[in-house]
Amino acid sequence: MIETLLSDLAAATQARIAAVTTADELETIRVEVLGRKGKLAEVSKDMGKLSPEQRGVVGKLLNAAKQSLEETLTTRQNAFAAAALAARLEREWLDLTVPAPGPGLGSLHPLTQIQAEIEDLFVSLGFTVLDGPEVETEFNNFDALNIPPDHPARDMQDTFWLSNGHLLRTHTSPVQVRGMKKLGPPLRMIAPGRVFRNEEVDASHEHTFYQLEGMMVDKDVSVAHLIYFMKTLLSAIFKRDVTVRLRPGYFPFVEPGFELDIQCLICNGTGCPVCKHSGWVELLPCGLVHPNVLRLGGIDPEEYSGFAFGLGLTRLVMMRYAIDDIRQLQGGDLRFLTQF
Amino acid sequence: MKFSSSWLAEHIDGLNLAPAELGSLITIKTAECEGVEPHGAHFDHVVIARVLTSEPIPGTHLAVASVDTGRYGIKQVVCGAPNCRANLLTAYVPPGQLGVTNAKLRGVDSAGMLASSKELGISAEDEGIIEFAAGNPGDAIPGCSSDTIIEIDNKSLTHRPDLWGHHGMAREVSAITGRPLRPVAAELPSGPAPIAVTIADAKLCPRFSALRFENVTVQPSPLWLQQRLESVGLNPINNIVDVTNFVMADLAQPMHAYDAAKLNGGITVRPATDGESCPALNGTTYSLDPTVLVIADESGPVGIAGIIGGGPSAISASTTTILLEAANFHAASIRKTSTKLKLRTDASMRFEKSQDPANTVRALARAVALLEEVSPGIRLVGGVADVYYSLPPLAPIEFTLAWMQRKLGKADLTAAEVTAILTSLAFGVTEAAGQFTVTVPSWRATKDVSIKDDLVEEVGRMIGYGNLTPLPPLVPNTVPPLPPERAYLRGLRQLLTAQGYTEVYNYSFVNEAQAVELGLPIPDHVRVVNPIAQGQELLRTSLLPHIKRNINDNAREFESFRLFEIGKEIHDRGRELPEEIPHLAAVSFAKHGDGTASLFELKRLAGTIAVGCTLEPATAHAYEHPFRSAIVILRNEPIGRLFEFHPSAVETGRAAVLYLDLVKLQALRPETGKYRPLRRFPTSAFDLTVVAEPRELAGRVLHLIEPLAGPQALKVQYLYDYTSEKGRSMTYRITVGAADRTLTSDEVTATRAAIIAGLEATGLTVQS
Repeated sequence: MIETLLSDLAAATQARIAAVTTADELETIRVEVLGRKGKLAEVSKDMGKLSPEQRGVVGKLLNAAKQSLEETLTTRQNAFAAAALAARLEREWLDLTVPAPGPGLGSLHPLTQIQAEIEDLFVSLGFTVLDGPEVETEFNNFDALNIPPDHPARDMQDTFWLSNGHLLRTHTSPVQVRGMKKLGPPLRMIAPGRVFRNEEVDASHEHTFYQLEGMMVDKDVSVAHLIYFMKTLLSAIFKRDVTVRLRPGYFPFVEPGFELDIQCLICNGTGCPVCKHSGWVELLPCGLVHPNVLRLGGIDPEEYSGFAFGLGLTRLVMMRYAIDDIRQLQGGDLRFLTQF
Repeated sequence: MKFSSSWLAEHIDGLNLAPAELGSLITIKTAECEGVEPHGAHFDHVVIARVLTSEPIPGTHLAVASVDTGRYGIKQVVCGAPNCRANLLTAYVPPGQLGVTNAKLRGVDSAGMLASSKELGISAEDEGIIEFAAGNPGDAIPGCSSDTIIEIDNKSLTHRPDLWGHHGMAREVSAITGRPLRPVAAELPSGPAPIAVTIADAKLCPRFSALRFENVTVQPSPLWLQQRLESVGLNPINNIVDVTNFVMADLAQPMHAYDAAKLNGGITVRPATDGESCPALNGTTYSLDPTVLVIADESGPVGIAGIIGGGPSAISASTTTILLEAANFHAASIRKTSTKLKLRTDASMRFEKSQDPANTVRALARAVALLEEVSPGIRLVGGVADVYYSLPPLAPIEFTLAWMQRKLGKADLTAAEVTAILTSLAFGVTEAAGQFTVTVPSWRATKDVSIKDDLVEEVGRMIGYGNLTPLPPLVPNTVPPLPPERAYLRGLRQLLTAQGYTEVYNYSFVNEAQAVELGLPIPDHVRVVNPIAQGQELLRTSLLPHIKRNINDNAREFESFRLFEIGKEIHDRGRELPEEIPHLAAVSFAKHGDGTASLFELKRLAGTIAVGCTLEPATAHAYEHPFRSAIVILRNEPIGRLFEFHPSAVETGRAAVLYLDLVKLQALRPETGKYRPLRRFPTSAFDLTVVAEPRELAGRVLHLIEPLAGPQALKVQYLYDYTSEKGRSMTYRITVGAADRTLTSDEVTATRAAIIAGLEATGLTVQS
């Protein structure tokens, strides 16, 4: 009888499925029994010989057997897949404490970092950033800045003079001249860059260092404005409220000229070795732009006035990181440079 | 510059400020005070003592003396001076002063010390203990007192010729404190000029003034004068020279005294002639030339103008007549001569600051009174010889109160305040309704003050900048126009560090050897005319010399590293300013391995910086590996090189370098244009394997395939190769497609056939 045949087949197959140990064996059974040319298919071929009533009954039995076998099969297949996956994952144990191959993060030169930080501060206050050449004309470096031909700054011992009749700029101030001509009044600009002094090099002296020039020209720019700006900026640079003071200082391109001191950040003005017990640390020269300089920059000093200042970036870097040998900055030693 | 606070106090009525406080005020209002140091504090304790007995200590040069010290009683002191004798009046230093302690010398107790002039810090005299002609035991040392020295930074005085003397600084202190400045009373004698004076060039010597004295006695100065000079760092010499130095230290006017008997005829101030020389006071004979101004008599130079006097006419013990000079010289000329002769003197330092020509006669007048005090019986001969060329007076300076208020940012500044400040500094002020007219005193007019802006400083500093209220400026709220190349370089630096490269900074200088080593032609460099150290002769035309040094230095410390520099090549353009071209040098170094990884790492880097760049084999430079050097091409333009350093250039390991011209690179960077719609139809791909010579270039074949693939080729990719001595087979994948439809298999086959035919036509074989 076909019903008996079917139930025997179903029972036998269930037993075989229960007994398999590998996914391959399971697949063999699936092909043998449930495949297109499998045993169930063969049974269904014989259905044609049955009466319509019988066909209905057997058809139901056949479907039920098929569904039951498929369910069992799928359950076991899933179990094998899960086991295989678990085994694979277990094999993939990895020691993540081993160092990663390839290079780590590189680092920017500390001067680049401090320069970028200060540039961003100034840009946020509406200043543009200008560059000037390392090789400058004597005119831009001296004459245009009201430094007359007899001034000691022009002496051989301070300036690198060049075979082409020009010089290596001794300060970033020539960019004031370039900036005034390029931008016209009113203007707000800074000019960071490399400058040169013809000096013997030791732990605290370099012939190559970095400055940041700043200039603001507008109607009625005053000493009180300069003090406000310097206090605001230096507080941002040092990330705390900074007390500043101005005292007379002589620089030919400003009148009046000042030395700006900040209250010592180490002792808060009570006196310590860093400030030589004075409570103050000399930080930057500044002043109101000399009318001759404005005039040579094409700006009418009766209509406009301005302030200018020069910040020593190299000095600032050395202060921030307590670097005790200035030569490290241009030494190219990665043991030093990778610390920043 | 050293200032004696008691000297300053002599110039000011009722000055009652501690020296330290005075130093701070000077710093804030005038010039930077570098230190305040007590000087001669022992004079509060040292006394005159009478030697009662002096007995030699056998077998030594010492004597044991019993001295009456007055204040300290009778003391026993061991003394080594040859002039220690009974009844001598000398100086007694009690224990606790000048490092003296109660001691036992050769078994003899010694309670204190008898001192020489040198030990007391009065002069360099140390022949024996000091001797006094008069005085009582217990008296203070006459003319000597404790003092405090205020040291002012010379650099902060460069623009102030008047502050190179005590009187000038006292004027500042008077203005700062409001205490009145005492007038310096002195009158010049009248009478005929005692000597003929000729000035050859009034620009170089605007004024020459002189007095003649006879019946001169040359002797040591009184102690007060010696101690005063010593306290400000000047050496006492003799009474005549000391007076000239005293006046200089007081009025900032250098002076010189000649032994008039040694002068021959009149004085001429003139440039030296070639071949002339001048034996100077310091024992050196200087060779002169026409850039040097001299004071000459009819026999030749007797002094180098403004710098140093001549040796033969110097004051000596036998001098009985003197010529006293107070002159004025051109600042720059003095500075040049001083630099040339490598001789900086107290006189040249002052003349360099543009001294006031009106000061010569003030100084002479002051000297007359002093000489009468230190050389009793001295007599003037005639009046003053005074040759000068009057300069037109400086025009008065005009400004308004409102202008001054705006410059300082102090709206409540009053006309009365401005007038009071300027008047206290000896400016002549007239003011009406806020309109000021100001005349400048002669000692401020030589270069310091000439325009109204100079007066902003005078008013501002005396008000005190700390009394200005910081004021935010009213400015337009504008976005600053930022140069795009700055943002580009900043982004590039970030990219490089993110990829593991560390930034180095190198000098702009290289030496000739470095340039030669890298085959950089020496004449292409801008040369430094005055290098002070080796290695600074040339400005770099390439970053590579220092990069090579960086590699070798760091190879001693690291197995592998990556570094970069962004810096400027400086190329000579003759008389024009040189061209400064920013370049990038990136290095990948590994001590071990065959170098391939570093080169391809840098090629990958090049692809991220210069997107779409390709490499073409280059003829290697001598410092490059001859078979590992390529030109980097972007949009058909060379923008730099990728190479491995020649093994002879690196001490160990292998170093690959990517060197790019950042100006060219920026110009060639593709701009992001309009968006392209995404492809809607599927693409087809097929692989081809090309067989060629063993050293055929994968890139060359790729460039052959691209045009052969036609307009429907979307991508030509190199996949892999197999290379042996016999040949090289390279597999490429070609992806084709159309924007508006799916290509038929016939079309794809046709494209493939066209590529194969094209490649075979160039002599390559294509494997099917």
